Amino acid sequence: MPDVSSPAAEKPPKGGAAARFSPAAAARTAVFSPVTVSIVAGFVVGAIILASTGAAPPAAYQAIFESAFGSDGIGDTLNKSIPIVGMAVALAIPLRAGLVNLGGDGQLVLGALAAACVGLYSPFPAPVTVVLALLAGVLAGGLWASLAALLENACGVPLLVSSLLLSYPAVSLVSYLIRFQLLEKGSGIPQTEKLPEGVRLPEFAQDGGLGTGISIGIFLVAAAALVFAFVEARTAAGFEVRMTGRGARFSAYAGVDRPRLTLKLMFASGGLAGLVGAITVLGFPFRLVDGALTSPGYTWTGLLAALLAAASPLGTLVAGFFFAALTIGGFGMEQETAVPQQLTSVLQAVIILFLAVRTGVFAKGGWLRRFRPGGRAPDPKAAESPGEAPVDDPVEAAVKAAVEGGR
Amino acid sequence: MTDPQTPTEPGAAAPGVPEVELRGIVKRFPGVLACDRVDLSVAAGEVHALMGENGAGKSTLMSVLYGLQRPDAGRILLRGTEHAFTSPLQAIDAGLGMVHQGFKLFPSLSVTENVVYGAEPRRRGFVDRAASRAKVADLVERHGLHVPPDARVGDLPVGVQQRVEILKLLYRDARVLILDEPTAVLTPAEADRLLDVVRGLAAAGRTVLLVTHKLHEVMAVSDRVTVLRDGRVTARMATADTGPAEIAAAMTGRQVDLDRTHPAGVPGTDVLAVDGLTVGPKGGKPLVDAVSLRVRAGEIVGVAGVAGNGQSELVEALAGLRPATAGRVVVAGTEVVSGGKGASVAKRRAAGLAYVPEDRAEVGAARTAPLADNLAMGFHRRAPIAGRGGLLSRAAIRAHAASVIDRFAVKAASGAVPIGTLSGGNQQKAILGREITHDAPLLVVEQPTRGVDIGSIENIHTRLVEHRDAGHGILLVSAELSEILALSDRVLVMYDGRVVAELPRAAADAATIGLAMAGGTPGVPAQRTGDDAEHQAADAASEPVAGAASDSAADTASDAASDAAFRAAAPDSPATPAPTEGEADHA
Repeated sequence: MPDVSSPAAEKPPKGGAAARFSPAAAARTAVFSPVTVSIVAGFVVGAIILASTGAAPPAAYQAIFESAFGSDGIGDTLNKSIPIVGMAVALAIPLRAGLVNLGGDGQLVLGALAAACVGLYSPFPAPVTVVLALLAGVLAGGLWASLAALLENACGVPLLVSSLLLSYPAVSLVSYLIRFQLLEKGSGIPQTEKLPEGVRLPEFAQDGGLGTGISIGIFLVAAAALVFAFVEARTAAGFEVRMTGRGARFSAYAGVDRPRLTLKLMFASGGLAGLVGAITVLGFPFRLVDGALTSPGYTWTGLLAALLAAASPLGTLVAGFFFAALTIGGFGMEQETAVPQQLTSVLQAVIILFLAVRTGVFAKGGWLRRFRPGGRAPDPKAAESPGEAPVDDPVEAAVKAAVEGGR
Repeated sequence: MTDPQTPTEPGAAAPGVPEVELRGIVKRFPGVLACDRVDLSVAAGEVHALMGENGAGKSTLMSVLYGLQRPDAGRILLRGTEHAFTSPLQAIDAGLGMVHQGFKLFPSLSVTENVVYGAEPRRRGFVDRAASRAKVADLVERHGLHVPPDARVGDLPVGVQQRVEILKLLYRDARVLILDEPTAVLTPAEADRLLDVVRGLAAAGRTVLLVTHKLHEVMAVSDRVTVLRDGRVTARMATADTGPAEIAAAMTGRQVDLDRTHPAGVPGTDVLAVDGLTVGPKGGKPLVDAVSLRVRAGEIVGVAGVAGNGQSELVEALAGLRPATAGRVVVAGTEVVSGGKGASVAKRRAAGLAYVPEDRAEVGAARTAPLADNLAMGFHRRAPIAGRGGLLSRAAIRAHAASVIDRFAVKAASGAVPIGTLSGGNQQKAILGREITHDAPLLVVEQPTRGVDIGSIENIHTRLVEHRDAGHGILLVSAELSEILALSDRVLVMYDGRVVAELPRAAADAATIGLAMAGGTPGVPAQRTGDDAEHQAADAASEPVAGAASDSAADTASDAASDAAFRAAAPDSPATPAPTEGEADHA
């Protein structure tokens, strides 16, 4: 059949592909990517705020950096990474499919509670108890998150709502149990008894002069991120997750069973959140302290990290580590300069805000587009059908998905 | 702000100076030369058609003219004066106005409010409502637009909303009106009315630039035609001196057979058996009412009907995207709906169903995902894409994409580009390619050529016939009568949720089908029904197969007016039921 529209015959390769993969172009793309620009912009705005209060921005930023990565701080940063990266990856798992799990707090504390109960009351030898405690944490968090999924699948409660609302009773229940049923005898602090000797995750780098050591829980969290990355990139299930995130109706049309996918992803998400809770309980101070998991806002910091990385598995890992470093750096900055640590929260917020306003700055015609090679300008072919121009960037899609509640 | 007034007479400029002139416009996007030294000259008071397939550069050229994009080279002259627009606002000030495909209206505000928005007449600092209304009413009157100034825009049919957009331009005193694919969202009747409006505007001294890929519109309304292909001008013609075939050849670069029909197929065993399928709210009026039909291997069964008569719901119920309330569906020997309980989408696909959905962008593809991933969907759980240990093979995904891209002539730089960056026709070829590659016994195809360019339409039709000849059964749902007639071995007509006629190929002509589409009984034309249906049928039949493409885009559901006309035309008594399966088969 004669057909002039045959791509090979009619047109030479459009150059796009070759240009897109050149190192220089890749570097330019990275430098001018929304994430990089947002982070830089966050620090610039932070500097303005600092300067306006009379503080010296370079000194403050130097303090953040040194406190987070210096020999005195890197251990703290790594320890802080456990809950932040853990929660970030946990929330990124459903986010990859466009589902938003807002119930991280509940899943986290239930996992911690389950681990604490197993740790305190298990009749088995300590090493077995540790493993059981971790498993109990996974199970508790996973089942609680599954309940949110079931509410959506069976009753049509949006996941965003069901997961968030289930979180409150879980947090309250755990708080109640800590303050009444499990309260340490004779203690004025709302905390459980200390776990028996030996029921704890081993630490390493103990002698590094870092205060406490680093829990090997960090390897569990890193392993979880790597498993997520592998499953996402290389398995059929991961492919379905990605495609569901890109187009929920498309994946349903192609035969993906969305309710089942929701259930599985929520179990994985809640399970990892529960694991993070269990790891925390099995580390210093080896007990469950009321509010210790919820008041630092690990869930929300984690969610921000996942959004920053567009739920990409390894990107989430990096973003979570970055936020952990910011948090630790903030403590150090407060000690060394007169700048309160809240500045780092401002930085986080500004970065995410810049990501969110990208529609203005990065959208077609936006001034930043001109600097970014490949795919910045609206493709003329897409332009033939206005309104169909695709979101060219997964972060944007994820933010959109988050805003729209994954529905 | 500007007062509505007739534009200064074209004579204001020296005679012979074009109203709009683009000289040597070049616009590059990474990897694509969208406009390659394009010259365009539009005389004052003429209707000038800018034609080209999707991706030919029409929209880019108009974006450049309208200040949405800066050209890399070239000049823009309006009445001899050079302009360099950096925003549409400047273009509007210079007397240009554009009606986009997606309307920019406030549905909850009145026509008057929409028209004057941003340029309200003021009295002591307040919006002068009386003056607004008077001005809008005057414009409506003067241009014969038939738009009620006080109606809420959201209540108006699509065709009237479009005239509100035109009113906005007239109110801002646009001398040149750019209409971008204006009939894509209209029913045939509305499209005719629009073309009348366009003629009226030109007669009143305005200049109209009509961007389209529909041949019959161009023939009907334009004075001159400029044709683009791959970013270059391939023809400039006076409409009176040319014909559809010549324009089509300039658009595609080859001769296009506009009136092709395909030889009949040789039917085999049933690949789809539907009995009494009913879809609809419990206790309410069913959307699909006890439909029974058969599709056999080696035949194309066309389902005709005015949009909104249950075709979409029927297809969704077959595909498993909408629950059935009663009935039985058997796909290639496997029962997938029984007593209203349906199997999952995955099970239906496993039973032998492939499906090209109507909504290409949202249902048929994930726009932001790479083309290769879109093509791999559905193949990702079996070899070769699922390799050893169930792991995906990236090489196999690439190879699969390359093979579909090659076989179905999808124009794409590589499998790595998001599918949403392809033109509509290429997206559709990719989706059709994926579904055909499934090699399932049954292929359900819904509006396969809606919004697709002329070259791709021919390609898609050929593929469907090849697929049929390879022994697959195809259920073709289309609002294009011409498409149904060109491809179908058997035609079913749906009206009001029921199959009201089943016609063998020989008996299926536009008049008979058109009558059934309007709810009339074939062979017994009611007085009022007859006129209406014939008009409709003639309308559909007069369109060349290819040009017809997206006329259909009109979801008649949103078109209260023509819907009402059909309802009125339909007698209250139910139409005679369709001939039984057997009769039709033997005929």
